[in-house]
Amino acid sequence: MAELHLTVIDPAGLHARPAAKVVQVASRFQSRIVLRSGERLVDVKSLIALLGLTIRPLTEITLTAEGPDADDALAALVEELGPAVAPLPDGTAVHP
Amino acid sequence: MGLVLVSHSEQLVEGLRAIVAQFGGSDVPVALAGGTPDGRIGTTAPRIETAIRSVLETSAEGALVLLDFGSAMLSLEIALEELDPAERARVRVSDAPLVEGAFLAGVQASTGATLDEVAEAARGWQSLPKLPEA
Repeated sequence: MAELHLTVIDPAGLHARPAAKVVQVASRFQSRIVLRSGERLVDVKSLIALLGLTIRPLTEITLTAEGPDADDALAALVEELGPAVAPLPDGTAVHP
Repeated sequence: MGLVLVSHSEQLVEGLRAIVAQFGGSDVPVALAGGTPDGRIGTTAPRIETAIRSVLETSAEGALVLLDFGSAMLSLEIALEELDPAERARVRVSDAPLVEGAFLAGVQASTGATLDEVAEAARGWQSLPKLPEA
């Protein structure tokens, strides 16, 4: 399992374009990848679930991947999101 | 799989194809049936049939049809009747609003999803937030 804590800093939040990219990138991996925002948890391979969160700027999110390619999946997602997100101070991948 | 966009307006579906390409990428086959052959607002069965066949030829998985309102469905029904059963089995019609449905379906199709999965994604339009939360 790999986990990453991020803050969404894009002034538009996690809007349609980056959300679509997240779905596309996540779908390339076998791992189950969930995004947690507050109490809510969604599968990032579902665009409608992701957009349903209406993630606004400065929202803290946690990405968790579980599966054989978990590390690669999170690395690819962070690369795709690029400047739209910033790591939180403890934002390095956790490997329990 | 690919999408067939049906509308009374040719310009509308051309614009919508650009949206699908922007969000879903250019690898998703999209065929258009917008307006009448003489450039008027309306729908015609032969245009829709041609568009569906063009997607079925390039996409083994099949085609999801998204349409606007009114006579679009009547024209579509006529077009579907022209298909043989094997072709018809590879066509799904979405109940989603054209723009939202095409956006959701286009992104889902770009992940290599099956026809059923893409149809299901378009069905999610009802939970697509539009107005800001109160």
